[in-house]
Amino acid sequence: MAESQKSCQEELSALKKEYEDFVYIVSHDIKTPMRAISNIATWIEDDLVSNANVDILNNFSLLKNRVGRLENMLNALLEFSRVNRTEMEMYEVNIPNLVEECIAILDNKLNVKFHVNYDLSNENCITLGKKLNKVVFNLLDNAIRFHDKQIKNVFVDVSENEMDYEIKIRDDGPGIASELKDKIFSIFYTVNSKDVLDTTGAGLTISSKIVAMVGGAIQYTPAVNNGSIFQINWPKTITLKN
Amino acid sequence: MEGSNILIVDNCKTYIENAVKAFSETGIQSTLYFAENHIEAWSLLQGDQKLSPLPKIMLIDINAVGINGIDLISKIRLDSELKSILIFVISNINNNENKLAALNLNVAGYMHKPFGNEEIITLFSTLNNYWNNIEFSSKSK
Amino acid sequence: MIHKLVNILLVEDDEVDVMNLKRAFKKNNIQNELFVAGNGVDALDMLRTAIVASPRIIILDLNMPKMNGIEFLEILRKDEKLKSISVFVMTTSNEDSDKIDAYNLNVAGYILKPLSFEKFITSVATLDNFWSLCEM
Repeated sequence: MAESQKSCQEELSALKKEYEDFVYIVSHDIKTPMRAISNIATWIEDDLVSNANVDILNNFSLLKNRVGRLENMLNALLEFSRVNRTEMEMYEVNIPNLVEECIAILDNKLNVKFHVNYDLSNENCITLGKKLNKVVFNLLDNAIRFHDKQIKNVFVDVSENEMDYEIKIRDDGPGIASELKDKIFSIFYTVNSKDVLDTTGAGLTISSKIVAMVGGAIQYTPAVNNGSIFQINWPKTITLKN
Repeated sequence: MEGSNILIVDNCKTYIENAVKAFSETGIQSTLYFAENHIEAWSLLQGDQKLSPLPKIMLIDINAVGINGIDLISKIRLDSELKSILIFVISNINNNENKLAALNLNVAGYMHKPFGNEEIITLFSTLNNYWNNIEFSSKSK
Repeated sequence: MIHKLVNILLVEDDEVDVMNLKRAFKKNNIQNELFVAGNGVDALDMLRTAIVASPRIIILDLNMPKMNGIEFLEILRKDEKLKSISVFVMTTSNEDSDKIDAYNLNVAGYILKPLSFEKFITSVATLDNFWSLCEM
């Protein structure tokens, strides 16, 4: 019984690796012709400038925009496929500092107000710092990016439980319809049409893969008066799931 | 470029002073080391005062008296640890024999040494842009 | 600008990258004659038969059919008449091993091919500014 269980595990691991290698190779190899299309579109646009009619120029603008989307999607795929391969260094992280650094990068956007609260006994933790940074930054970035109001409020509450850190990121934006709340973690899914708001739709997918990898959890709940709450539970001790 | 070292082999005091100023004005992040002759230079490369990490960039005035630049570069090219260093010759003396020898030793650039302050800043600013635009291997051999 | 008489040999098999470079040269007003070889074998031929005459420099891609860039460089550095030519690598390879190999064969620079054409133009501008300082 143990034998077949073991071989099942091995097969699963091998399959997983094959899948990730495949995604990596495909997205990596597709980049070359895609880069070419992007370049060629720029050259034609460049050559046309003097004689072009408005429609042609508009079409080129559209073409370049769609190629840009392709590029973003490929880069997201590449990143997704390498979540458990790159930036896997474990080092001591000061949780408040990490959060502050993410906020600092995003804080130059006008009309964004961050409200941060820390309730921690153990501020420091040895963990996959770059991965935690990625997830926190992604959620903060989303809170701003999808916000619909003039003044954007983002509330960050960091606390700790016995076994994990709990980071709650709440915004007072439009919130997400309850029937969509599972879809938002699917790759390339965006609530709005990409013509309304041009985003790749991979941020939550990548973040949830990272969180699953470290044995944590990520959860969405709607906020009381519209808005979204994303909660990350990040284990203090990381057991990597392969 | 942070954490990297650049070795300058030159003994003209004024030029060195201006070079140091120009480096700080252009915001070059590397640490500068100086050698006034080939013996000091070798000591920093393979001798008692061996730099760590080894410099990936060297600036040499091969025509300055006492430097023996061509011999130094030859030694560097024959050393398995040092041979991949990017060497830039900066000299204001026209010695065609030395110039040919330097090019044969695959220096990365052979440049005229300017005297004016402005020109020195331009020189290092251009070099800095170039160094920021090229890749270096991350492992030191 | 690099001295007008210097010939530039581009060793590159990708048609789009050849065009990128030609256009980037044009945008930077570089008027030197640009020769193109699609692989290392043709490149050596163009150099040895002086189709590309001195003074000359080489811009070299690494991933090419028939003979890749590093192999080409090895042969170049062993040839008495060709070994002193300045070589600038321009490649998509970000592999450390390629960088080590290239610098061990004394290239004057190792540049990653930029992803957008606009960045290509800037990269060539930086290269051109550097060349303008160099005597060949």
